[in-house]
Amino acid sequence: MQKLFRAGLMMLSVSFLLTACQPDAHKELDAPRNILASLEGTWKLTKATQVDESAKAKGFPFKEIDITTLFPYTDFRITFNLNAGAPGTFTTVPGASPKIIKLTSGTWSVDNAASPKNITLTSGASTEVTTLGGYPVGASNTLKLAVARVEAATGKTVITYSYEFAKQ
Amino acid sequence: MKKLLYLILFISAGLFAKAQNPSFSPATFTAEDQVTLTFDVTGTPMAGSSEAYIWLWGNAGDSPLNTSWTNSPDAARMTAAGTNKWSFTFTGTVLYGLPPASLSNFNFLVKKKDGSAQTSNQGPFNFDPLVFTPTMLRVFPGKVGADDVVTVNFDKAYGVTANEQRMTPTTATITMVDDAGNNVGSPLNLTVRKTGETIWSASYIPSVSFTPSTGRKLFKFKYKFNGTVLDPGGATITVTSSETEVTFTTMQ
Repeated sequence: MQKLFRAGLMMLSVSFLLTACQPDAHKELDAPRNILASLEGTWKLTKATQVDESAKAKGFPFKEIDITTLFPYTDFRITFNLNAGAPGTFTTVPGASPKIIKLTSGTWSVDNAASPKNITLTSGASTEVTTLGGYPVGASNTLKLAVARVEAATGKTVITYSYEFAKQ
Repeated sequence: MKKLLYLILFISAGLFAKAQNPSFSPATFTAEDQVTLTFDVTGTPMAGSSEAYIWLWGNAGDSPLNTSWTNSPDAARMTAAGTNKWSFTFTGTVLYGLPPASLSNFNFLVKKKDGSAQTSNQGPFNFDPLVFTPTMLRVFPGKVGADDVVTVNFDKAYGVTANEQRMTPTTATITMVDDAGNNVGSPLNLTVRKTGETIWSASYIPSVSFTPSTGRKLFKFKYKFNGTVLDPGGATITVTSSETEVTFTTMQ
């Protein structure tokens, strides 16, 4: 009798557990971040660093230097314009800064509109590619761009310049 | 008279204009990188030769290809790279069968298989280090193009002479050289900044500070540091460090 009672209690417990486990309902997701919209506007360079990629790979003591104040980098400004929500035109105003981007105006495009990694700047037959290091969305209002310097003979990136911009 | 002057200038330019010989691709390389050296033997006893062999040696001694001066092996045979031009591709660690730390430089000459003709010795040429070796003069980044920010550094802790060990640097002098071996413009004097306990640095952008003549490009630069020390009498005297040179890396 006791055994029957225990078996019944066990079956009751199992069926209770099975019926109690219900998947949580998915909450509605927020609207996807619009990265392209966050890039729109005029940006002023605030920080420039230079990384020796070979020294970094080898763990050498001198890997990176802050070059912001060595030359008037903070004069540099870039403006991204959208055209109906898509990448449109761009302009650069270097002022006295080294020309971190040589093209002064043209159009820009991205490799992936939802989560872009590379921005390609085009003016006539000339193009320059910069890599996005950080999106200016959410808590961050800093645009980070990187420019790689590639050795022609080996195809290896030997220097990377990282630039941080603040929205104007 | 004017034509004669132009003719003299033209001949002089021809005499002084010379391509880099030998040349290396890539321009800088470690003992673990594959490098192709190309050498123009015009004007040497090897000019006009139908075949060429490399004879290579360095701080690690003779290369294993130096088996016999009068009978070089096929592995040492160089590849034709144009009229009187020969190239040879190798990787230091593979050629020697040694770790990179054992290889710091090499020399070479070009010879006939039987050793009946040869060029003069070329070198020494340095392998880029794989382990960081502190030196008195150092450039950052290790490989730079003519459009890059170049920082030259002086660390007096590694000075060789008494003056280099005692000096307080004030300026760095940059001398630019084009691909024809001619100086470009006047030497540039940069004010230094202190970046470490014993380190002083100066930065410049070659293509901003120097403009090569038409048809030429910036090829390499030399740099040295200038400063002051106190003589035994307490008077300030000006001193200069030794000089070193850096060849630009060609960037895409």
